Amino acid sequence: MSISWPLVIFYVIALLTLCCAVLMLSFRKVIYMALTIGGVFVGCAAVYFLLGADFVGVAQILIYAGAITILIMFAIMLTNHEAAEPPLSWNLKNVASAVGCVLLAVVLLLAVRSTNWPGGGATTDINGGNTNPIVIGLMLFKQYTIPFELVSVLLIVALVGAVILAQDRKEDE
Amino acid sequence: MWNWATHPISGLSFLGMVIGAVVILLLTLLVVMYSIYWQRKLIGWIQLRIGPNRVGPFGLFQTAADVLKLLIKEDVIPSKADRVLFLIAPILAFVPAFTVLAVIPMSQHHVFTANVSIGALFYLALSAITIHGVMLGGWASNNKYALIGGMRSAAQMLSYEIPLGMSVVGVVLMAGSINLNDIVIAQSRSIWYFIPQILGFIVFMIASTAELNRTPFDLPEAESELVAGYHTEYTGFRFAFFMLTEYVYLFAMAGLFATLFLGGWSGPFLPGWLWFALKVFLYISIQFWIQATMPRMRVDQLMTFSWKVLLPLALFNLVITAVLKAVV
Repeated sequence: MSISWPLVIFYVIALLTLCCAVLMLSFRKVIYMALTIGGVFVGCAAVYFLLGADFVGVAQILIYAGAITILIMFAIMLTNHEAAEPPLSWNLKNVASAVGCVLLAVVLLLAVRSTNWPGGGATTDINGGNTNPIVIGLMLFKQYTIPFELVSVLLIVALVGAVILAQDRKEDE
Repeated sequence: MWNWATHPISGLSFLGMVIGAVVILLLTLLVVMYSIYWQRKLIGWIQLRIGPNRVGPFGLFQTAADVLKLLIKEDVIPSKADRVLFLIAPILAFVPAFTVLAVIPMSQHHVFTANVSIGALFYLALSAITIHGVMLGGWASNNKYALIGGMRSAAQMLSYEIPLGMSVVGVVLMAGSINLNDIVIAQSRSIWYFIPQILGFIVFMIASTAELNRTPFDLPEAESELVAGYHTEYTGFRFAFFMLTEYVYLFAMAGLFATLFLGGWSGPFLPGWLWFALKVFLYISIQFWIQATMPRMRVDQLMTFSWKVLLPLALFNLVITAVLKAVV
């Protein structure tokens, strides 16, 4: 009997990622949570690599595991050194968010199941012979030009807003 | 020969990957050992000293003796430190440093080189993960010098990564690919990119020195003000891990530099791996030369220099490259 190695590796990665996620939920110290959520992001990136989506995987590492996790850590270190979360209590907000999470999972599952994916396994070439970054570039600048430009406007607004906020604080002192 | 990228993972190719990783690890340790030896020798000669010459012929085993000493030292963990984070921080710093070596083409036949379609980006993304290790190490030590060193290191590495990435984009534009293997092939067909990309080359040299935390940008471990920066509290083999990370990055950055600007393994007469080794040696020697020559920058000049000088230069280089590419 032959073992399907990509499947084995998928289960190993999925197990590690889920471990990180469960650990993140069970930790009470915020800095440990930041570290384990970094682990979850890296695990997701590993799944993307396994699926052959190199660019998405690297973007996941660069933006989520790199920049965002570091930002979270900076925020924790510069504010409260020993920040810890109070123990869990089932109040209205927590129940509502739990229900919301389950509903989101159901919607995602239904969407994944109802989408018609190109079949044929790992050998199918859905890129038309190009490499990943080339296809993504063509998509961004042909099919999705307007959403792409709108996102860049959004980022510029966020950047300018951050600078203005930081500037105001300096004048107060 | 070792073409893993084109077919799905199988048991045999997995075994090949493990063997490849072990071989590259041994090679890296050897390179790191003799980089440290060469650093001490070269700086010694520049300062009219002899350098290490006691252990083995010409002092060749000096680094091995130093590493052995570090390995048998006591592993002290401060009682007020955050124990778990303190223990895993050196590992977090080292793993990405070693992983980035996977995409650097060290020889013509791509033995143990991954043919990733986004190689240059892979390097930049993973090197950002090391900042976690440095920052957490500084924070978990519960020491003001370590904390300041860790914070400075994170701020410096994040802000210099942007001009570094921008200078790489110029090369990517010229080669028409982010795959490091394709970039080397594109250079072997035309000229090595340090001539047409001279501006990007200069930005890359400066930004990579800052990324490596080497003089004149060694503020994170500035011994005159911060004792030793983020690894003040580390001893024994955990300290050795931080040092190893630093020198593995020196090797990896030298490999990236050779690949992007000096044509990687390509070159006349000599075999590919020898050309690659020569170019890596050149970069490492230049780093040590700068270290022996320059004083340290002031901390308030550091960020301004990255954002107000290097980044505009890199963007200007990008615009020129794009215009030339469109016109020519």
